[in-house]
Amino acid sequence: MGSVVPLSVLALWEILSRIGLLSEDGFSRPTAFLAAGAKALADGTLLEQTAQTFSAAAQALLMSSILGIGIGAILGLFRPLERAAQLTVDALRPIPSVALIPLSLLIFGFSRNMSAAVAAFACFWPILIVTTSAVRGIDPRLTEVGRMLGFSLLHRILKLALPAAIPGIMVGIRVAAGIAIVVTVTTEIVSNPRGLGHGMNLAAQSLQADLMWATLLWVGVVGWLVNWGLERLERRWLYLR
Amino acid sequence: MLEAQRLSVSFGAQRHVLRDIDFTVAEHEFVCLVGPSGCGKTTLLRALAGLTPISNGAARFKGEPVLGPQTQLAIVFQDYGRALLPWRTVAGNIALALEARGIPAAEHAHRILPLLKKFNLADHAAKFPAQLSGGMQQRVQIARCLAQEPEVLLMDEPFGSLDAITRQELQDEVARLAKDERRTVVFVTHDLEEAIYLGDRVIALAANPGRIAEIVDVELPRPRQQLGTREDPRFLQYRHRLYKHLAH
Repeated sequence: MGSVVPLSVLALWEILSRIGLLSEDGFSRPTAFLAAGAKALADGTLLEQTAQTFSAAAQALLMSSILGIGIGAILGLFRPLERAAQLTVDALRPIPSVALIPLSLLIFGFSRNMSAAVAAFACFWPILIVTTSAVRGIDPRLTEVGRMLGFSLLHRILKLALPAAIPGIMVGIRVAAGIAIVVTVTTEIVSNPRGLGHGMNLAAQSLQADLMWATLLWVGVVGWLVNWGLERLERRWLYLR
Repeated sequence: MLEAQRLSVSFGAQRHVLRDIDFTVAEHEFVCLVGPSGCGKTTLLRALAGLTPISNGAARFKGEPVLGPQTQLAIVFQDYGRALLPWRTVAGNIALALEARGIPAAEHAHRILPLLKKFNLADHAAKFPAQLSGGMQQRVQIARCLAQEPEVLLMDEPFGSLDAITRQELQDEVARLAKDERRTVVFVTHDLEEAIYLGDRVIALAANPGRIAEIVDVELPRPRQQLGTREDPRFLQYRHRLYKHLAH
């Protein structure tokens, strides 16, 4: 049912393109870019670029999750620390992640790390904020149970606080996964000569509108698949509860 | 075994929740605390558990002041739904107490099984709390407290939110448990009949500020029976005697 709209759009597009209402310089017609996409898939370039982009995005998500969940858990557990960190968080968070591209390029050069570092910065904030509030919102009864059973603080965090906060944290990770892909592709378009973003740049510069469109839609499809996978994972967790 | 010595709890300078509570719970004794709502009976239990700070006087366990939670004192909360870990199975929730005691995982199964059997939970070991009835969930919480192997079981209106039939079943299970395993129990309830039915002694509290109104020794034969005991003339006498402390 959900596929009715995109399929109709593609059909209309094809028609408009064939009767000459859409310029083929910019709007490659669907049959053409689907063919270009199939070709790029078959010869491996698209898959290679996908691997480059998604390994950078995954690295960013991993780094920002470790830092965001770790720091967020500490801030959520200790109110004075949260207050102490508030100013720093509020000051750093509005910095646009793409503004860090020159700096990251200086530090990491043209590499996966360069894209991953910028994307990790962008992903860190939603994970930090969601984790902090999820941990802060844990039922105090669970803390009392942990204290009565004689758990150390570290064990109360690992066995009670974090598992209790996981549904909230998962939402943060899902949001961050989308951001990771967007920012990684952005760094590739702007400066990093690798991945799907760079592929689109090359296609546009060599006036291959069909390949450009194919790559663009491919980013959408893969991004959708990632979100779908994370949602499944999340629901599995919720079912267990 | 467990003592309250001129125990007082205040929240701020104005609100005196408990004032000068004095009593001693003997080893293997089953003591029930009753009182009208707001008399501070839950606060008293939490103070004995080391969860609520004491402003004056002391709670003592085996002569030593209780300054914080300790594993020899276990508490069963009324709200089992909040006290159980929803992401762990029945067996996993009970295992939590074993993990806290540092018992190797290999030993968990054979320590958990007898507890499951004792509470008729053996068929539910792999279920999650949300899949169980309220009575079953409360049994899991009690089993978890026993896995802690405490000397004293502190119970805060544990059956307050259960239906009448389940409540009676659990009353008998807890009474049997206390007797068979010779546990010391302090049991908070707002249900006078429950207090008399279960207790060796009933301590009635009065409100504003919370203080002891009367202490009654219950000399009803054990094992007690839901019908026989409750129809015993002495049971009714205790009920008459204590009733005035609950009426507003």
